[in-house]
Amino acid sequence: MKEIRLAWPVLLRIFFRSFLVQASWNFERLQNLGFFYLLSPGLRSIYGDSLSRDVCERHSAYFNTHPYFSPLVAGTVLRLEAKAHAGEETTIDAETYKQMVMGPFAAMGDALFWGGLRPLAALIGLLIASQGSLWAPVVFLVLFNLPHLLFRSGGLLLGYTQGLRAIETVQKCRLPDLALRLKESTIILIGVLCAYLSFKGCEHQDLSAVWGFVLLPVVLLFAWLAHKGVTSLFLVLLTTLSLLLLALLF
Amino acid sequence: MVIGDYMLAGLMAMLTGMDRVALIQFMISRPLVAGPLTGLVLGNPLVGLEVGMLLELLWLGRLPVGAAIPPDDTQVAVGATVLALSMGPLIGVSGMPLLILCVLVAIPLGKFGQVFDRLARQVNDRLALNGKKALAAGDYSGAERTHLLGLVSFATASLATAVMIVLCGSFILSLTAPFLIDAVREAGLSLQYSLILVGAAVLLGTINVNRSISLFCAAFVGTLLVLWLR
Repeated sequence: MKEIRLAWPVLLRIFFRSFLVQASWNFERLQNLGFFYLLSPGLRSIYGDSLSRDVCERHSAYFNTHPYFSPLVAGTVLRLEAKAHAGEETTIDAETYKQMVMGPFAAMGDALFWGGLRPLAALIGLLIASQGSLWAPVVFLVLFNLPHLLFRSGGLLLGYTQGLRAIETVQKCRLPDLALRLKESTIILIGVLCAYLSFKGCEHQDLSAVWGFVLLPVVLLFAWLAHKGVTSLFLVLLTTLSLLLLALLF
Repeated sequence: MVIGDYMLAGLMAMLTGMDRVALIQFMISRPLVAGPLTGLVLGNPLVGLEVGMLLELLWLGRLPVGAAIPPDDTQVAVGATVLALSMGPLIGVSGMPLLILCVLVAIPLGKFGQVFDRLARQVNDRLALNGKKALAAGDYSGAERTHLLGLVSFATASLATAVMIVLCGSFILSLTAPFLIDAVREAGLSLQYSLILVGAAVLLGTINVNRSISLFCAAFVGTLLVLWLR
């Protein structure tokens, strides 16, 4: 039997469905139903009336990866399913592929998007917002979502066109290195933001900017406390109470 | 604010709340966006922007991975914006001191978000079970519909969090504002900057990069020197 190729409207439906992959996120099976929802138009196209409960139940088992990587996984899974339906041999089946990549892709996505791109875009947005500009949220959304949407759409096409070879392509992109560069840029911007705020604070109090350097060890101390597990809420309460007490006393 | 405004704020709470996990994840749930959006529908986006600025970094380092549920900074931003726009005339405070008070009151109330979010995910456990049953019965469309019902759980959790923050926040503000407002006015800018700086420090402490301290110190010292000497 000849391998069935998915039409563009079907791929487009899968792309839009990827925005809802976590709609029923749950503690027991995480994205299980969401991944079936994502694959469903593709599975219906491949199997038609012969779509079996067995196939559907296989793709609604425990599953969890980074949501932005789910179209990439879905693309490859559908290609593998199409090959299996056509009777072609593949080195691994769709089920094994899912189990194999969901963990590494989740870790890569968390580091790249949540740990790298999002803080960087947020800090650029904050620097703009500190000038009182309402463009700040717009800039933040554009900076974050351009790569995000490109990654989602490109991932689906890559997974579907390249099948299992998509893993090699992802490896060649060296995403963990990119995440590290983004994190380093974020740290530099944190330094710029803290220095700017400390300069403005000194200016407001009619103090020389040299006094701004006093803030450096304070921020480092708080960073160390946060690293040791002290919560943001506790640090906010500590700072607020100290400042209110100082304001009342002097 | 009139009833219609509260309903608009509720809609915004649900929309931005769903963006956290369940819908798109376009990042309109970040305080820097959720605050101005709520302010925009209530007629004053700048108040929302100020609120968003103060809150953006506080929990940015808490990654929404697996079963970890960070405090709901989205609803803290929505709730604090609503409080800032609704409570001013009632307690006779305005401007930045009011805004800071509202944010300080809303921050601990973000814990409600964790409770409601956990409940929503537990409700979804049942949905997942129902979805599996539908699939076993060959009702594939039914399983898809069951999946989409999860959006209702997340939207309800977000709305409940926002309502709790606004209700409890109003009560706490009306009790404490008369005693705190003078000290908040006095500490003014320091309090405003300290919230952003605490957020920056927490983010710095939670980013795992080998050279983080040297990079941060170099950027801080370099920027401050440039600003000082220019």
